[in-house]
Amino acid sequence: MDSYRIMVIDDEKIVGNMAKLSLELDGYMVETFLNAGLALDRLKEQKFDVVVTDLVMTGIDGVEVVRTVDKLYPETKVIIITAFANIDTVLSTLEAEIHDCFPKPVKMRELKESIHRALKKG
Amino acid sequence: MRIEYRIFATSAFNVTLIILVGIFALHTLNVMLTKQRVVEIADDLNTSFLEMRISEKNYLLYNKKSALFDIKNKIDTTMKSIGSVSSDISRAIGEDNLTLLKTHLAKYSDIVEHIRSHERTEELQTALRTEGKNLKDFSETIALMERKQVNNIITNSKRALFLSFCVILYSAVIVSHFLSRKIVMQLRQIERCAIAISKGNFRKIEDVQAKNETESIFNCIYWIKRFWEHIDYIRQPKDEVESVINAINCMSGELSNREEALLQSKKLASMGILTAGVAHELTNPLNNISMIAQTYEEAYDKLSIDDRVKFMRTIGEETERIRRIVRNLLDFSKPKEANLKEADINTVIKKTLTLVQNMLDISNIKTKLNLEEVLPKLLVDDYQMQQVFLNLITNAVQAMSPGEELSISSRLGRNRDSVEIAIMDSGGGICPEIIPHIFDPFFSTKGEGGTGLGLSVSYGIIEKHNGAIRVKSKPGSGTTFTIELPVYNG
Repeated sequence: MDSYRIMVIDDEKIVGNMAKLSLELDGYMVETFLNAGLALDRLKEQKFDVVVTDLVMTGIDGVEVVRTVDKLYPETKVIIITAFANIDTVLSTLEAEIHDCFPKPVKMRELKESIHRALKKG
Repeated sequence: MRIEYRIFATSAFNVTLIILVGIFALHTLNVMLTKQRVVEIADDLNTSFLEMRISEKNYLLYNKKSALFDIKNKIDTTMKSIGSVSSDISRAIGEDNLTLLKTHLAKYSDIVEHIRSHERTEELQTALRTEGKNLKDFSETIALMERKQVNNIITNSKRALFLSFCVILYSAVIVSHFLSRKIVMQLRQIERCAIAISKGNFRKIEDVQAKNETESIFNCIYWIKRFWEHIDYIRQPKDEVESVINAINCMSGELSNREEALLQSKKLASMGILTAGVAHELTNPLNNISMIAQTYEEAYDKLSIDDRVKFMRTIGEETERIRRIVRNLLDFSKPKEANLKEADINTVIKKTLTLVQNMLDISNIKTKLNLEEVLPKLLVDDYQMQQVFLNLITNAVQAMSPGEELSISSRLGRNRDSVEIAIMDSGGGICPEIIPHIFDPFFSTKGEGGTGLGLSVSYGIIEKHNGAIRVKSKPGSGTTFTIELPVYNG
């Protein structure tokens, strides 16, 4: 069986690195991006099962990622991790398009459980 | 005294003087008229006597009885007219003279009567002639006297009128000057207040003083009774200027209260933004530390010692990042009181350049200096100004690629009362949509590297120096920051 592919998008380098390390321990294939533009380009070439993205980034931001993925790759699940103070606002705006949303600092275990559920759904 | 009353007093005084002059002139005219009347009477008398003498001569020469008759008539008419104006005549020439005149006339009449009823004798003729002459001389003297008197009166009146005119003119000028000087002083007071306010000087105007202790105490109690305690004590205004000053002081008080309230709410709003901004800014490094720690724990046995050490080091770096953000926040919310001292801005610029020379060399950025040699001294906190220049130069360097040129210039401002310092880079420029936000706290285009506080702190520092900072930028051609600082006028 092919491993599941997970994409992590966050302009903080460390987030991508740690997420990759941790998720690869669980057997996933992880690709990280600092820039949503590059990430979306990659999505055109390769299908991913889950996209984990930050919301506030310079250039293309998380919301655009959510909407693009929802439109073009409906099978790809999107999980948001954000430093944004008001999670409820995020949830209410993007509820339909995302699978889950976590505030920073992220509890890795919860994130991984959410990814697991997302993959089960698919 | 109220300006209103002063003006009224001046006008009243001037009008009174004019009335006085008028009354005096009228009186003089009256006197002259009276005298004139008497002169007329004297002239009439003279004419009568002249006619009598002519008739007398007629009789004496031609022996006409009718002449005597004429004389008699004339005498009677004259007696009658004297009688009718005897009061005027007695006023003019005195009671004694009037009696004398009447006596003479009576004597003359007697003689004529005598001649008419009796024979004309030599003696009687002589007596007639003599008496006639006496009468005429008498009346001529009176007429002369009257004329002289009138002339005197006219001359005196002229002199008196002229003198009184001078006195009145003089006193009118003095009094008007004195009264209007006070008015001008009061108006100048108002003008000074207006100028002070236009300069943005909202302090209370302390020009008013209590006339005496009891008055001020009375006013104090009166106003405290009427107003609540947080409205300030105002004196009962003694003139229009004080009313204006009171009104202005009230307004200043209100403005100052509102300014404070506005400042407070602005601060709170800022704090709101700040707190949100800080929360956001801090969450990223905190999340980094958290994720490193969790991964460290999870993958401990699978990590090389090198990796473990790297993780810990990274945690340390992220902690440092947090410290910087908190530090900047403190700098922003409690701007340090500027320690202003007279300084030459070119010296400050050059000092800052020595601090960043290293960074410039590493980034291979050239510097072009265009500092005007003779600039007036400014009042600056040179440490804070260095911070501002540091911030701007750093931003400029980060916007440019190696080999590009940073340009710094200083010159006298357009109005010669300020100095302009410009820091120009040839980097990518700033989009017009972003420009209005660049001085906002936590606004950053730098992603991980920036806290977004540098320019807003710089803005605050420039404000504290009573200066201004502006930005001009075109995407693709670079950005220029211009700082304008007021000249120190000793």
